Amino acid sequence: MDLYLQQLPQQLVNGLTLGGVYALIAVGYTMVYGILFMLNFAHGEVYMIGGFAGWWALHLLSRNNIPLVNAAIVISLMLIIAMGVSGLLGVAIERFAYRPLRKAPRMNLLLSALGVSIFLQNLVLTYQGAEIRFFHVSSLIPESIRTFHIGNVVVSFMRILVIFTTFMLMALLTVMVKKTKMGKAMRATAQDTEAAAFMGIDVDRIIVIVFLIGSALGGAAGTLVGLLFTQVDYYVGFQAGLKGFTAAVLGGIGNIFGAMMGGIILGLVESLATTFFPASYKDVVAFVILILVLVFRPWGLMGEKIPEKV
Amino acid sequence: MKDGPTDTGLSKSTRLILYWAVALILAGAPLIMPGTYWLRIYTMAGLYVMLALGLNVVAGFAGLLDLAYVAFFGIGGYIFALLSSIHLGIHLPFLLVLPIAALATMGFGFALGSTSMRLKGDYLAIVTLAFSQIFKLLLLNLDRPVNITGGVNGIYNLDPITIMGFRIISPVAYSYLIWFSAIIIILASFRIKKSRYGRGWEAIREDELAAEVMGVNTTWMKLMAFAGGAFIAGATGVLFASFQDSVFPNNFDFPQLVIVYCMVILGGLGNIMGVVLGAVLLSALPEFLREYGAYRMMSYGLILIVLMALRPQGILGEIEFLRRGRRRPDKDETRVLKSSTELYYDGEERITDQSTREYSKSNRVILEIRNLTQNFGGLKAVDYLSLDLFEREILSIIGPNGSGKTTLFNLISGIYTATSGDIIFEGYNLRGLKPHQVVKRGIARTFQNLRLFDNMTVLDNVKVGQFCQTKSGPVSTLLHLPLHKKEEDQVEVWANKVLGLFGARLTGYRFGQKATSLSFANRRRLEIARAMSTNAKVLMLDEPSAGMNPQETVEITNFIKRLRDVYGYTVLVIEHKLNVVRTISDRVIALDYGKKIAEGSYEEVANNKQVIEAYLGRKGH
Repeated sequence: MDLYLQQLPQQLVNGLTLGGVYALIAVGYTMVYGILFMLNFAHGEVYMIGGFAGWWALHLLSRNNIPLVNAAIVISLMLIIAMGVSGLLGVAIERFAYRPLRKAPRMNLLLSALGVSIFLQNLVLTYQGAEIRFFHVSSLIPESIRTFHIGNVVVSFMRILVIFTTFMLMALLTVMVKKTKMGKAMRATAQDTEAAAFMGIDVDRIIVIVFLIGSALGGAAGTLVGLLFTQVDYYVGFQAGLKGFTAAVLGGIGNIFGAMMGGIILGLVESLATTFFPASYKDVVAFVILILVLVFRPWGLMGEKIPEKV
Repeated sequence: MKDGPTDTGLSKSTRLILYWAVALILAGAPLIMPGTYWLRIYTMAGLYVMLALGLNVVAGFAGLLDLAYVAFFGIGGYIFALLSSIHLGIHLPFLLVLPIAALATMGFGFALGSTSMRLKGDYLAIVTLAFSQIFKLLLLNLDRPVNITGGVNGIYNLDPITIMGFRIISPVAYSYLIWFSAIIIILASFRIKKSRYGRGWEAIREDELAAEVMGVNTTWMKLMAFAGGAFIAGATGVLFASFQDSVFPNNFDFPQLVIVYCMVILGGLGNIMGVVLGAVLLSALPEFLREYGAYRMMSYGLILIVLMALRPQGILGEIEFLRRGRRRPDKDETRVLKSSTELYYDGEERITDQSTREYSKSNRVILEIRNLTQNFGGLKAVDYLSLDLFEREILSIIGPNGSGKTTLFNLISGIYTATSGDIIFEGYNLRGLKPHQVVKRGIARTFQNLRLFDNMTVLDNVKVGQFCQTKSGPVSTLLHLPLHKKEEDQVEVWANKVLGLFGARLTGYRFGQKATSLSFANRRRLEIARAMSTNAKVLMLDEPSAGMNPQETVEITNFIKRLRDVYGYTVLVIEHKLNVVRTISDRVIALDYGKKIAEGSYEEVANNKQVIEAYLGRKGH
């Protein structure tokens, strides 16, 4: 128990970082679900490709693992490129794999999403290989500020950067959804697609924007994780996707704020669980939570139960 | 109807020839395979046929997106490896391990199913996906502290298998064993599809709520699908483990699941021959394209996307080249074309004749509703409502929109559970029963906004109604035991009889038509027929004449009267057309804001001041 208490602050910091990333992924799931009522299986792959885009940007901007320009510019460019690539990818997926099925049974949509996921995963495998790509970030951050010690808690600069960036992005999203005209149109479409269309909202456009934003956030998450854990490979999307979905479900799927909270809760729980279980069972904990929540509170920890209309 | 041509559209002799041809091919194929490499692919194709058909039960028949399917395959394989190898030092004979593994896997399927049955579509998919991930993580990590699964290295050197004294070792022996098993699964698939189970699952896939309300125990049926699929997967896992002589976590991973899904989708969900073909094609085709090896999994993804967009019914879906002599609506027995008016008025006389009145309202209360209340949040949709329904009475319920009429039906049929109050049917309190239990007791209903099983035939729609009155189990169905045959015959006769009550509207060539291809009025009629086929005593009709033209309205009005007068049904009907209400009703009850505001004969209710106000508003406003 003593050891546990000693580790607690460290695990809280780790959990918060991880949770922020999960939250970013979860938001993509939840936004799409809120409007199309579909589970975008391919979102994990969008995240993975975001990670690769970030790696590629870093690769292009460095020579012999030394960045050619200011580190702040490198990191910003990595994020922008990752978000751009992932966002466009999300839009393309919607256009080619989901839009033709808008009126088809839900199961078809889900299977198509599964197909996209497999396709993208193996596309990357084919052109990129199975080996892990490393983010050579050590030279980005000067030695003096690479880690901070607060008591016996070690916080790396990257962690602070990740937490800061995720919270910035989520704050931006919240403002967009709550305050702008576009956000209002998105909320209206999520409530009732048909009624929104009758009120003059271009639903197709809203759906494209939702995929753009959700996927861009997923891409940002991919690159942030790359910066944090310094690696990416073709298979990371699968696990990350499941975690993001778990977070979205925890918060009540369709609920953007819930997804953010769900992500942070999941990150914290996972980090704390590693003090009790071997690290290899960390994912088992996450999936058991997912099953328990889905079985006992499918409307999420914060959502409300809605009776089915006959 | 026994083994007649209706089953496959083939005559008995043609079928016999077909059977012999298949047997010959299967007997000869292993001997003419060019080398062991192709023999192995041939054998793997047999395994995939089994796997795909098992998945077809869950995903195809019942429409459940089960992503743990390959985990079940793995459970079967690992059970064999554990119980029949030097790994734990247990050496059980193959013929004992096979049923143990299949049944244990079925148990896992049942357990997973029962925890997740309440979940729909995507959620079910995710729970099963999470389960399969947990399974894989356990396989990888349970080699420490005690070595159970062998971790990444798996378990190898399994016992050679012996069946009735024959040792199965050579690749040729395996190919015979595996394809023999595949044939058994194929035949079992056909039998189960053609049974009450097949119809029940199809109904669930089409419209789960309607299936439940027509008497299908949907929870149980979905569990059966889960368990059935797991059973096949488990058995296949045993064969696979023995054939490979080892098991590894990688054998049961996500890509494997995608391959099996592709096979089922390519063949068409629920289409048995299609799935078999899909499995064989996708086992063999990638071998021809081996130089493009890296693109193989990618192409599986593309297959899924493209098929879903262009041909979700699969390659064999709706191609009915095996059916001969299908009668066309515009031709009669002699294949002479009929005029369209002839078609339209076909058999009408039989419906409109006012035949002898045999039954009339009795004084026995059959359905008693006491103080029934339903709260939706703060809204009382039904508010402390009491009413009596007499045996063989036609009672109409009227009231403005939102007055609680349909909610009342939903409460009686068990879709909602009332907040308080009692629903007493023949002395038994129905409150808290599930819809399929209510139907079984004798109350069936129709829906205001038609909920037919659109892609099922007219005949099958009606047969689903008999689900709750039949009870043959899976064993009886698979082995075609006498109980199954007797019940199938009874169901066939009864369905014909019920549809016959509607004249030529729903009979003859219409038997084989899909419900969606019927005209609107005929769809309404079919819904009533479906409700009647449940052997119910009380029929609850929710706006039976909605959307009908005047002539059709007259016809349905007469039919509702006949339901009681000639066939002795008790009828509770919600209706807006006051002409219909006046003609059919023994009694009328008017609802407003969930309360009964008037009750009595049509004239009494129609002239009631409160009723007029409810419909037209108060004077002087």
